[in-house]
Amino acid sequence: MKISFPYMGPTLIYAKLLELLGHDIVMPNRPSRKTIELGVKHSPEFACFPFKVLMGTYLEMMGKGIDTIVTSGGHGPCRAGYYGELHKKILSSLGYDLDFIIFDEPKRDFKRFFQYVKRLKADSSWFHVARVVYIVYRMSKSIDKIEKIVTTRRAYVSNKSLFNRTWQNILEDYSRIRTLKDISEVEKKALKKINKFNYQLPPEDERIRIGIIGEIYVVMEPSVNNNIEEIINYFGAEVERSQYLSQYIDETIMPFKGKEVKEIFRKADDYLEIIIGGHARQSVGHIVDYKERGFDGIIHLKPFGCLPELITQSMLDKISLDLDIPILSLSIDEQTAQANLMTRIEAFIDFIKYQKASKKERMVVNE
Amino acid sequence: MNSIYVGVDIGSVSINIIAIDANNELIFKLYRRNTGQPVEIVKEALNELKKNLKDMQEVAGVGVTGSGRKLIGYILGADIIKNEITAHAAATTYYYPETGTIFEIGGQDSKLIIVNNGIPVDFAMNTVCAAGTGSFLDHQALRLGVPIEEFGALALKARRDVRIAGRCTVFAESDMISKQQYGFTKPEIIKGLCRALVRNYMNNLVRGRKLSGKYIFQGGVAANIGIKAAFEEELSHEVIIPEHYDVMGAIGIAMLVKEEIESKGIKTSFRGFNITRDNFVTSSFICEGCANECEVIKVESSTEVIAMTGDRCGKWSDSVENQISYRQETFAR
Repeated sequence: MKISFPYMGPTLIYAKLLELLGHDIVMPNRPSRKTIELGVKHSPEFACFPFKVLMGTYLEMMGKGIDTIVTSGGHGPCRAGYYGELHKKILSSLGYDLDFIIFDEPKRDFKRFFQYVKRLKADSSWFHVARVVYIVYRMSKSIDKIEKIVTTRRAYVSNKSLFNRTWQNILEDYSRIRTLKDISEVEKKALKKINKFNYQLPPEDERIRIGIIGEIYVVMEPSVNNNIEEIINYFGAEVERSQYLSQYIDETIMPFKGKEVKEIFRKADDYLEIIIGGHARQSVGHIVDYKERGFDGIIHLKPFGCLPELITQSMLDKISLDLDIPILSLSIDEQTAQANLMTRIEAFIDFIKYQKASKKERMVVNE
Repeated sequence: MNSIYVGVDIGSVSINIIAIDANNELIFKLYRRNTGQPVEIVKEALNELKKNLKDMQEVAGVGVTGSGRKLIGYILGADIIKNEITAHAAATTYYYPETGTIFEIGGQDSKLIIVNNGIPVDFAMNTVCAAGTGSFLDHQALRLGVPIEEFGALALKARRDVRIAGRCTVFAESDMISKQQYGFTKPEIIKGLCRALVRNYMNNLVRGRKLSGKYIFQGGVAANIGIKAAFEEELSHEVIIPEHYDVMGAIGIAMLVKEEIESKGIKTSFRGFNITRDNFVTSSFICEGCANECEVIKVESSTEVIAMTGDRCGKWSDSVENQISYRQETFAR
């Protein structure tokens, strides 16, 4: 069995999981313009953008001897639920017959979930599987922890391109991890590297924090969302996003970790009581959560053609008004022009700065 | 020496260059159609400005805005390169501190800016296509054989109302052709178009937001009194068109650069008027150094490489000595 998988966020983690289980893997390419063109060409026009990027990712790997693709299914009533099957069909019509292992939420069909796990387990012992899953889980926690520091600090360090290169190096270090002990060592080293950069934290009332919400693929994959976190950092604002891999694992796989998700769901209650598919309910819950945590603005990312996020988008005006927090909604697809995105994000952050400055002025006057 | 500040707005349809003095008074203004050679137009405009400068006047800062801001910014050695939304808001809130709503309709963009107590708080920008912007009107004027300058005034002569489908330029055109065949006059068709444009604007940008006065209407399309009338009818409220409605973006960026230079007490990075005698070449290539595959843009004068930009890691941009680093210009997919 020669396996590959989609490219999304810290892809090295899926690679590590399968590698430690003893599989022969092919690392997918980071989506490029070529990937996207290829995917758009071979996808139904009305499929949402992530479908097209995945299509392109798979097609780029054909000819490398892959026979199995491992991917995840959808969340609730969202079209992503049958995307795996559709990818398989399109690949087969192009002459590539592959096996797809599609992981849905275990609670939906536990028997099938278990069968798939057994297939990936192959000859390893259950003890080994548990150990590997734990290592990978801890690794994702560690990467996410470091990344949150990166997306805060990068707003203030002066040599941002060197900082970016350092972050790339750190990720390379992570990809070499084999044991639990390695994780803590790599993490320590990473913090050391990051702390070498001088930065000046502005006074608390001048710090700008932006939360990114929306569909998981466009939120998590920088090559698809035009490196939006980097852009926000470059305009001098800190950023956090609603989806991190470790959080996703907590939500879907870890048995006793659902508490935080439930809390986020609860926060969405005033606007959206049911799951309408994708991560729409989380998106709304996270806006409330960010507001409570003192964030200054929200950027909503919606892949063009995404139905759940289209519904979220239609609620944003009201939420923004109710909570008194600016929200910028951006639609992402192959037509997204970089210049246009920069214009909107820069203006958005400028306006937040102006408002903060005027609030501060008024406070001084009142005192 | 008396300091003046130059603002340049490189739009898709027009290029505007203005200069203000230390008291924010407009001392130079030039509005040109963008014929696709912005560098040449900017050079001409700089020569014009130089001729107009009095003794003791000296350029103390240059700011560039508009969709073509990046390249021209590097060539001029601008002190600020900034988006047009912020620039427009800066100028309008200066002239009209009590503004509530700014409508800005340009060649291919339309914007809505909401202002509260003199602070811009929210904006929207057309997302889908250019139907409902200047280019659309330009095209229809051409088709009707009416000079664009007379287009708006003609709308006021209409005696009947006709509804034109304005969501998409192509469909608007076929609708116009059929309405012409029904016997509607040119003024009536034009009035229908103006109302379609405003309707489009309300549906796409305002989207149920609560607007409040004063209403300021600016951008190239504000020259069209037919649109102004249609806005006033829609809002049942007076709409104000600023004196320099067509160059507000350029004025705004000049004000922002003035603020930046004065508050930080820095010297301008403007390359000087000599650049009008130089030639500039831009080229681009895909860097294959890593999986990012950044598109790198290179700007050269006849003697040196002025700027390289677009690389995320700094491999190329760091290689250019004395490159002005604009925070916003270092990304690629």
